[in-house]
Amino acid sequence: MERQITLIALFAALIAVLGLVPKFTLASGIPITAQGMGIMLCGTVLGARRGALAVLLFLGLVALGLPLLAGGRGGLGVFAGPTVGFLIGFPIAAFVAGLITERLRKAPVFPAALLAAVLGGIVVLYIPGILGMMVMLNLTLKQAAISMLPFIPGDVIKAGLAAALTASLYKARPASVLSRA
Amino acid sequence: MTVQAVADGSIEIIGVTCCFGSRVALRDLTLTLSERRIGIIGRNGSGKTTLARLVAGLIAPDAGTLHVGGVDVHADRKAAIRKVGILFQNPDHQIIFPTVEEELAFGLRQLGQTKSDARKGAHAMLARFGRENWHDRSVDSLSQGQRHLVCLMAVLAMQPSVILLDEPFSGLDIPTTRALRGYLDSLPAMLVHVTHDPTAISGYDRAIWLDDGRVAGDGPVAEVLERYLAAMEGAGDADADL
Amino acid sequence: MLTLTSDIRTPYHGLRAGVKLAALCGATVGLFWLQSVAAMAGGVAAVTALYLVPGPRFLRDGLRQLKPLWVFVALVIAWHAVMLDAMAGVTIALRLVAAVALANLVTMTTRFDDLIDVVMWLLTPLRRLGLNTVPLGFAIVLVVRFIPVLMDKASKLFDAWRARSARRVGWQVALPITLGAIDDAEHVAEALRARGGLIASQEA
Repeated sequence: MERQITLIALFAALIAVLGLVPKFTLASGIPITAQGMGIMLCGTVLGARRGALAVLLFLGLVALGLPLLAGGRGGLGVFAGPTVGFLIGFPIAAFVAGLITERLRKAPVFPAALLAAVLGGIVVLYIPGILGMMVMLNLTLKQAAISMLPFIPGDVIKAGLAAALTASLYKARPASVLSRA
Repeated sequence: MTVQAVADGSIEIIGVTCCFGSRVALRDLTLTLSERRIGIIGRNGSGKTTLARLVAGLIAPDAGTLHVGGVDVHADRKAAIRKVGILFQNPDHQIIFPTVEEELAFGLRQLGQTKSDARKGAHAMLARFGRENWHDRSVDSLSQGQRHLVCLMAVLAMQPSVILLDEPFSGLDIPTTRALRGYLDSLPAMLVHVTHDPTAISGYDRAIWLDDGRVAGDGPVAEVLERYLAAMEGAGDADADL
Repeated sequence: MLTLTSDIRTPYHGLRAGVKLAALCGATVGLFWLQSVAAMAGGVAAVTALYLVPGPRFLRDGLRQLKPLWVFVALVIAWHAVMLDAMAGVTIALRLVAAVALANLVTMTTRFDDLIDVVMWLLTPLRRLGLNTVPLGFAIVLVVRFIPVLMDKASKLFDAWRARSARRVGWQVALPITLGAIDDAEHVAEALRARGGLIASQEA
């Protein structure tokens, strides 16, 4: 039981750290903010329930005023702003990513985690994300979707990296990848 | 050990000041380092790690200039990584890749080699140390001392003229320290060894004692160490880093 | 621990956290309910006045907190201009600014510990139902303690990359950072078990 709590807490810390370090880059030179990858990893590594709890813990601390969102943002203001849909979507994304990884535990890690990261971390995330933008900014579905389009390629890459990381983590620490337990 | 000037890797530090917020880590430092074995000794917080990171080109000075073999190591990173290598304290904070081969090949790839050339280079480095069978081992499966060796090999693979050592023996037992020290002593590169431990730099050509960001002593190792140790003895509890 | 609470003293610091949060909820609902541009402008003016009370430096800090918002303000006005309804765009933009600035004001004037107390109070009914909230308090402490630890490891790994590469740091460093998180979790769990487990430690 202790291990579950500490893993949840450390992954919540990980989401923060992945948002606060300087942007990573791919070999081709595109810099990305890694925080979204952290959300996906919570799901693919910890599974649905614990992954979602880690993200909720993270969001709770952001709401309490810790500057843990990428760029050092935080506080109640981010929940009153246009990206609130994405914030609500974060734990749901982790949950779905975790669910898919758990269901596919008989399949090889990388493809399972990739499907989980794409479906959970992108498809499921963008639904509340775009809805939130529609409500907060009074935009039509089309307008909100177009506004978010430039971020999709980066997120696809993040999903791929999250899957690769999950596979490497499973090789290095199989006992800690709770989603495959 | 005879004093040899290593012009290829001569380190020119002119008027360098380095601050972190309100804290001044190095004050108006001017030094020319060209001896083959140089020790930088000082307490924690004396500025010696900052100096190492400056010479490695990881940070830029707030004032002054710093060149290694004529290269501005902060501005020209491509040339800098050919000139300078740095070995940090803790292998677990330094090794990025999960396998030994990837870790050694990384630097070679960054120097512009192809994937297969880098792999060959990694294997050659492992062979030099008689560790060919490490090429497919995971870093996790290695002991602390073995990880220190991996870090050293990763730096050596890039064949730098200057190697900075920032407390490289931390956490190692006596025989392992001795063995690692043996490897280091045999290297042709210039070594700049940053440490708080006087025994680590015995036999070196020159010792520089840094205190509070300034040079408090500079010269033959025995002389500087004598004054350094006297000062450490004289330091009361109030000076302790507690 | 670095929080977004301002160290400039304001009269709002002394108000109870629960009261401020309730007022924030009410005001935000009001902002979203009222539709006119006049009401929104009034809202922004009122919030600005609240920020001015502690002085111009506080207002400047508040404006700095709003920086990420401006790109959305521009987006809103641009889209609405395209729809030939610029006035609606301005209204939405004003509402955004007022709501976010007001929420930020609560964050800037309320201590982290006081907000934790409110959270624990809100969870009382769950405690009555038998839910154990001790692990939550512990988890919060762990996160706060380990963010700097992981950041330190991450920055050292970034250094290790930059020491051997002229290129920007690559995604591969995410692996040792994540492994660090996993290993730290195992070590803390072990330390806990050595002291009798989580519940026993808290009861001690």
